[in-house]
Amino acid sequence: MLKVDSTPRAAWTIASMAAALVVLVPVVVILSSVFRNSDGVWQHLEATRLGDYALNTLVLSLGVCCTAGVVGVVSAWVVTMYRFPGRLVLSWALLLPLAVPPYLAAYAMTDLLQFSGPVQGWMRNTFGLTGGDYWFPDLRTLGGATFILSFSLFPYVYFAARIAFLEQSRSMLEASRTLGCGPLRTFLFVGVPLARPAIAGGVALVLMETVADFGAVDYCAVDTFATGVYRTWYGLDSPVAAGQLSALVVSILFLFVGLEWLLRRSGDRHRATDRANGSDGVRIGRPGRALAILCCLVPLTSGFLLPAGRLAYLAFVGGDGRSSELLGGLVVSTASIAVLASVVAMMLGILIGYGRRLQRNPWTACAALASRMGYAMPGPVIAIGLLICLGWIDHRINDLAAAGGGSWRPGLLLTGSIAALVIGYQARFLAIAVSFVESGLARVHRSIDAAARTLGAGPSRTLFGVHLPMLRTSLLAGGLIVFVDVAKELPITLMLRPFNFDTLAVRVYQLASDERIEEAASAAVAIIGVGLIPVLVLARHVERIRTAGSKGATA
Amino acid sequence: MVRDLTFGFGDEPLLDRFSVKVSPGAVQCVLGPSGSGKTTLLRLIAGLERPTGGLVLIDGQPMTRSGVHVPPERRAVGLVFQDFALFPNRTVRGNVLFGIRTSGRAERAARCDELLHRLGVEALADRMPSTLSGGEQQRVAIARALARRPRVMLLDEPFSSLDVETRTAVRAETISVLRDSDVATLMVTHDPSEADLIADDVIRFKPSQTTTKIL
Repeated sequence: MLKVDSTPRAAWTIASMAAALVVLVPVVVILSSVFRNSDGVWQHLEATRLGDYALNTLVLSLGVCCTAGVVGVVSAWVVTMYRFPGRLVLSWALLLPLAVPPYLAAYAMTDLLQFSGPVQGWMRNTFGLTGGDYWFPDLRTLGGATFILSFSLFPYVYFAARIAFLEQSRSMLEASRTLGCGPLRTFLFVGVPLARPAIAGGVALVLMETVADFGAVDYCAVDTFATGVYRTWYGLDSPVAAGQLSALVVSILFLFVGLEWLLRRSGDRHRATDRANGSDGVRIGRPGRALAILCCLVPLTSGFLLPAGRLAYLAFVGGDGRSSELLGGLVVSTASIAVLASVVAMMLGILIGYGRRLQRNPWTACAALASRMGYAMPGPVIAIGLLICLGWIDHRINDLAAAGGGSWRPGLLLTGSIAALVIGYQARFLAIAVSFVESGLARVHRSIDAAARTLGAGPSRTLFGVHLPMLRTSLLAGGLIVFVDVAKELPITLMLRPFNFDTLAVRVYQLASDERIEEAASAAVAIIGVGLIPVLVLARHVERIRTAGSKGATA
Repeated sequence: MVRDLTFGFGDEPLLDRFSVKVSPGAVQCVLGPSGSGKTTLLRLIAGLERPTGGLVLIDGQPMTRSGVHVPPERRAVGLVFQDFALFPNRTVRGNVLFGIRTSGRAERAARCDELLHRLGVEALADRMPSTLSGGEQQRVAIARALARRPRVMLLDEPFSSLDVETRTAVRAETISVLRDSDVATLMVTHDPSEADLIADDVIRFKPSQTTTKIL
């Protein structure tokens, strides 16, 4: 008798849904908090702060998306199209700002440019000025936050645009030139429109990171939704009102994710890769070369050289002994929580990604979509959702223990535990794991599955015997990215960590909040060092596309 | 007209003192195996590459002189690419209009309609390039290249991607349109029978000039 093959498939659907629960549960908890009573805190928020949160978030997002978009697209175009000294080095160096999380950039740049900082001090000494004699931009403003986030996040756009420009058919751009369009018109009317889907993808990432940013806006004293949620929980001590504020954020994000999905479905993607743009670049005159170098150096300096250089200077020249004493312990705790979180993330990612490959149904699609949504949610929102939910579970466990009649009271089992922290990271970074698993699986042809199955292997044996060995590189790469993101993560760690558990990021945040940035410098440099890893991975990826393109062009 | 055009470096340049002259209304073929520098010749004339020596003259005007390089957008050349290079995000009409830079909306539209009519693709005006057949794309590419009223038309293996049946028909029509337009046409091909069939004159790139180093 033949066994009907339905149970294992249903099992995979259930497994991938279960994995998506780490995102879905906080979201549902947050949305349901709308129906709870916040004892007037929400009304207070609505009357006082809500308008500011909304307006600041909106203005900041618009400003950062526009600035980062222009900077990223222009630098990618210049690097791809023109030949100038230092081009190859700059082409990957422009990814470096990704290694400096925005909050570190904010600390370092503020330290550099504040009244008592080296720049203003030098100006006063050299020109014999005193305070009040001159105007100097203040970074702890909305404009300052826009500046810092723009130059910290533009590499997302640069990366997407660079790959799109590299893959653009060279003849398309040359056709424009022979049809009477100069370089500028070619850029505006052919190059950019053809790369539009990629650029939009990069800008969408910048938007998500801006809305989710906590550390930089917190330090610049710009009240956005992300800091608002944290402050309502910590300052006003009202998880319910924080949850209600989060519900508002989540609803807006739902709208965006849905809109993006619609746009992506309707947007026609132009594939013109028959002859990729692997050209050595157009030779340009001296003023052109100077301008090209300037277009790359300004973002690189503002986004990486200045902040990283300042922190390195503080760490190696001005650092104090005690911070490096503490550093060892912090590195160990950060690394161990990040390894744990990335291993769990890749396992959940396999459940969702492989479940979707086996079973294309609304449930698995929903699981994949949920994971993607988690990445868009600000850390404080996720943390509030989990805090409410874990607190409830802890209460129920204690109630049960009390009902049992014994004297045993477990207290807070989950709240403030390592487990809670790891779950929090999953909610935020599962999207990365899923996307690496999915793109890895996409490279494995379906006939491989068919071959394994006709040779008598079930879905699980196919996964462990065939897919996982082939996915090894994708899993490693995905795990690495999650590792780095966890190591840099600030708000979730801040809100969910157990007592006396510090990571590098939390330590830096606390010291910076006390204006003791010099003592935090060595920890900050360590974070930047870890952040360099994915930059190198991305740079290698671009380089492979570039060399493949130039091979195609000469063949 | 091209005189002593040289491109490449070292003892064996890709193009060595190559000369050719095409008069208005004439069709000149350059015949040679792949990798012999035919495409490079067209790119040099169009201004997409800078020659290392020699002269490119269009209508008697020098396009390259010591230190001076007229950019492609200011040369009166039309280039039809081997892969046609139609802009995939613009309609057929949008592609043809791209090269028409005269002022006046009505004037531009009229010129566009005239070209589409001449190439027999007016029915396709609002279609996207990806929905066209190879032969249709080829005609649109010719119409687009003619839109600027070029003095020189450069064709890079324009019929190689078409199947045999369409090729014969499209080829005959294209050549007659080009002759009527009074432009000097320079076409490169690797097919000797095609060259003999349509060209007024054929130049052969000698196999001795061809070396594997280019590949």
